[in-house]
Amino acid sequence: MFSRLILESFLRQRRRKLLAALAILLGTTAVTAMLAIGTSVGDKITREMAAYGANIVVYPAADALDVEIGGVNVRPATAGSYLRENELAKIKNIFWRNNVADISPELPVTASLTSGQRTVQVPATGYWFQHTLHSTDPSSGESWTMGAPALHPWWKLRGAWPREGSSEIAVGSELARQLQLHIGDTVLAQGQPVRVAGIVSSGDATDRTLLVPLGLAQRWIGHPGAVRRVYVGALTKPEDALARKNPDKLSPKLRDRWYCSPYANSIAYQIQEVLPNTRAEQIRRIAQGEGTILSRISGLMLLVALAALVAAGLAVGASMTTAIVERRQEIGLMRALGATRVIIAGLFFVEITVLAVAGGVAGYLLGSALAHHIGDQVFGSPIAFNPALLPATLLLSLVVSLAGSAPSIWQATQMEPATVLREEG
Amino acid sequence: MSQKGLSLPLLLRRSLLHRRGRTAAEMIALTVSAAVATALLTLYASLDQKLHHQFRAFGANIVVTGQSSAGNAGLPANALEIARNTAGSDARVVPFVYAVAQTQSGAPIVVAGTDMAAVRQMNSWWQVSHWPETRNSAGTGGPVEVLTGVRAAQALGSDRFELVYNGKVLSAQTAGTLRSGDADDSRVYLPLDIFEKWTGLTPTTLEIQAAGSAQHVQTVLQRLRRALPGTEIHAVHQLVEAESNVVSRTRSLMLSSLVLIAMTVAVSVLATLTASVFERRRDFAVMKALGAAQHRVIVIFLAETVLLALLALVCGYVLGCGIADLIGEWNFHTSIAPVWRVLPQVALLNVVVALLAAAIPMRLLRRLDPATLLRGE
Repeated sequence: MFSRLILESFLRQRRRKLLAALAILLGTTAVTAMLAIGTSVGDKITREMAAYGANIVVYPAADALDVEIGGVNVRPATAGSYLRENELAKIKNIFWRNNVADISPELPVTASLTSGQRTVQVPATGYWFQHTLHSTDPSSGESWTMGAPALHPWWKLRGAWPREGSSEIAVGSELARQLQLHIGDTVLAQGQPVRVAGIVSSGDATDRTLLVPLGLAQRWIGHPGAVRRVYVGALTKPEDALARKNPDKLSPKLRDRWYCSPYANSIAYQIQEVLPNTRAEQIRRIAQGEGTILSRISGLMLLVALAALVAAGLAVGASMTTAIVERRQEIGLMRALGATRVIIAGLFFVEITVLAVAGGVAGYLLGSALAHHIGDQVFGSPIAFNPALLPATLLLSLVVSLAGSAPSIWQATQMEPATVLREEG
Repeated sequence: MSQKGLSLPLLLRRSLLHRRGRTAAEMIALTVSAAVATALLTLYASLDQKLHHQFRAFGANIVVTGQSSAGNAGLPANALEIARNTAGSDARVVPFVYAVAQTQSGAPIVVAGTDMAAVRQMNSWWQVSHWPETRNSAGTGGPVEVLTGVRAAQALGSDRFELVYNGKVLSAQTAGTLRSGDADDSRVYLPLDIFEKWTGLTPTTLEIQAAGSAQHVQTVLQRLRRALPGTEIHAVHQLVEAESNVVSRTRSLMLSSLVLIAMTVAVSVLATLTASVFERRRDFAVMKALGAAQHRVIVIFLAETVLLALLALVCGYVLGCGIADLIGEWNFHTSIAPVWRVLPQVALLNVVVALLAAAIPMRLLRRLDPATLLRGE
């Protein structure tokens, strides 16, 4: 009898159910979409932040001081010590290897450049441009394409990047203007002919330098395999109180947590572990700035998600009240026919539960699809379905629906059947 | 029907006051809808400014240097003042001058002179163990308090050291160490006036932080170029480009959220108004039975709805401004002032949503048959 009552109610009162179902559907859709966006916005913005370039730098521990003014290193090229190029793949072995998006070694040198009759001394830097880095574990067969252009998205290139192992170079735009160099020209660098493959404009000191393949710079200074410093672009988590702690002074449990969080500090620490005799430091200007922006935007989106939650709760609650108010007469009739209050309340609660679960599931699917679409539109990469949101959404839709309808049901069952039946038509 | 006692205002007043619970429910739904719309629109309107303000964390986005391919050319003596006046009141301008000095062991080291108080504000990412006193012992003849980069401190070995520039000796005392992860770690920073007295050099670089969109930075750049001829001025592309990217994406995200939430709120208003009509079918039936024309009943209902919507608009606007301000305090640590120009938008939204929500229950009203209803069937 009870189940038939519910079935009939759904079959015969489709219009009345529609509004309630619509409210639950829309409310859960909004909440799911907003929660999906709010929880993944940090990840998306982190990827956008890659445009700021490297956030970790690695240099030899025993290195002499940098003598750098205005982005130009005036230290004699022979001073100091080097990292070894063939060890860099080890950076891809650390715990957070998948967060290491880019590795870019640099070797600053000074080159004598002869163009036409003029010979000038110019700063030059050896880079990887499109280097294929193979995993240190040959059985995995993994390899990555890495280099300076990916870590310097603000470099504007005309022409092409020099090919690895070739005698090609790229020239900073300012230097190219001064020396009247053009793409395709051949000049003498350190006495050897090199071809200008591209011209780079960066808006900083790089505009006045040569950009050459790392191997070429190493040959010029006679140090095969030498690298002065390595820039690493890593996806990191904003720094919190734990991140600033010295890991060697933490309790083993806290240290594990520190080690297993993708802080810039812990990634730097792990790089130092795999590359002995090096110093890895977070580039605080970039890392700290990214952290600030990231926490502000995530915070904002979570607050907006909270607003969506309140709005959805209100919508569902209001529509539930409406649904009950419309059916007061029906309640009166059932009471007159001898149904107890408990049975009536039970009937309504079961109905609402069915609606809330169906609406919640549909809303979850719709909201996830919406978040997917918004992520695609805004960030160019979709926001993945998050199954953890389903129970949360369902619970929410149930609690809000039941809480929203309880007062009206209570009110309706308290009324004298005779009054209700006479009063309304 | 033209009797005084049944004029529209009176009818409205009675109708609104008679069923207080119903009126309150409608008011709440409409107020919340106005408040949420106001809060989100206010946030959206001040989002750019607030976000750009946060991007100050990345430091200077414009660099002014003396024009010389050889490097250390000084800037005009009044460049700092001109730049401060040109860049605007909310911009930060910090002068720098660099020199390569020798340590006691003869190794080269970069020494920089700067305005300590200003750099502390601008380079918030500097991790400094202790800032030197702004007025330090320059006059007393004792060692000068300096800020030593962590790598420089390691190379120097001691907190008390001497630096030589052009044969002139400066005895320095490390007040605190500086960690930044870039070239600053290898430098020693001293107060500008002491640096100038020691080396005879004047500022060669101004780092300027103009908070705002890429367009604003470009405007400041143009103004500076006109005000400071003979200098080289460029924007830090690395920062400006990434910033506009992140801000515009956040804005689109905020806009989609706004639409989604506005829709949800509209449903709650719709549900509440439907319930309201339903509860009052009898009232309307009586009015019809007494000879009120169809349109008059509808006018009463609409007038009621619009009146409530406007009333809710005022409460909602005030509430929404408060919520926006609270979110600003929580998230951006600055208050968000009420934005007047969102008021018409909220008003339009609220009234449109209310009328739309009223349109559906109105169809119920039109189909009302007074006889059936009043007989109680």
